[in-house]
Amino acid sequence: MTVTELSHAEGFEAVNLSEGDREITGVYIGDLLSWVMGKATSGDSWITIMSNINILAVASLTDCACVILAEGVTLEDDVKTAAQSKGINVISSQLSAYEIALRLNTMINNE
Amino acid sequence: MKEISLNILDVAKNSVKAGAALTTITLNETEETLTLIIGDNGCGMSEETVKNVCDPFYTTRTTRKVGLGIPLLKLSAEQTGGSFEIISRSQEDFPDDHGTTVTAVFYKNHIDFTPLGDVVFSIVTLIQGDPDVDFLYTHNMPQGTVSLDTRELRAQLGDISLAEFEIIAWISEYLKEQYAELNA
Repeated sequence: MTVTELSHAEGFEAVNLSEGDREITGVYIGDLLSWVMGKATSGDSWITIMSNINILAVASLTDCACVILAEGVTLEDDVKTAAQSKGINVISSQLSAYEIALRLNTMINNE
Repeated sequence: MKEISLNILDVAKNSVKAGAALTTITLNETEETLTLIIGDNGCGMSEETVKNVCDPFYTTRTTRKVGLGIPLLKLSAEQTGGSFEIISRSQEDFPDDHGTTVTAVFYKNHIDFTPLGDVVFSIVTLIQGDPDVDFLYTHNMPQGTVSLDTRELRAQLGDISLAEFEIIAWISEYLKEQYAELNA
């Protein structure tokens, strides 16, 4: 499943899709950025409730397929602009991290 | 970071990299706050660079395009309702008095306060990593002060490197004993 495909799924909304055709190959959940930096891996969709600019740096470093903002978290305009200029995919959802992970599991396994 | 001591390690290494002969690490602790001050007499930064250091996509590294040491320390402090400040005087503009000082204030009772962690380990690691430059460590607490000045050690040791295993082990024990005495 690509990031664009995920953004079209029920419960998900695109915030920034600079590289929407990237394939999602895994899931990582975490909010302590230094921890995520060491644990998330390339191709992961990273679910978090953090929204400061540092999440973009962590996503870039770990080469995540996309950041998924859980529980209705939104980005400030300057962070959104930075996501566009750095080419970081961001998707938002009202769902909890757990519910998002469940849906991703179904979608990834049904491919 | 999970512990402030890891931030200390990360940020103090920047001071060493900036060519500082002396890096001063101070922790001022009250019942409510923890203030971390890392100061150095290194080459300092231009005003332009200072403006950029809190941007995670700015880094002096060439191996990757993002640097998170300063941004994560700032986030850790601000997450507790605290504050963060960085002041720098570049060697170019201030040839006689240059260097950088980073100050982070944490509110200890805030739920997002990350514990200080193993600060002795951080100090020892810094000294072992760069035994030829000096570190002044001071931790002021309501019940007393823990301190270490590598310049004093150097004066006593003469030509013996601070990175010698026995010296490193002694420094670690010396700091731990000071903490144990204050917390007894």
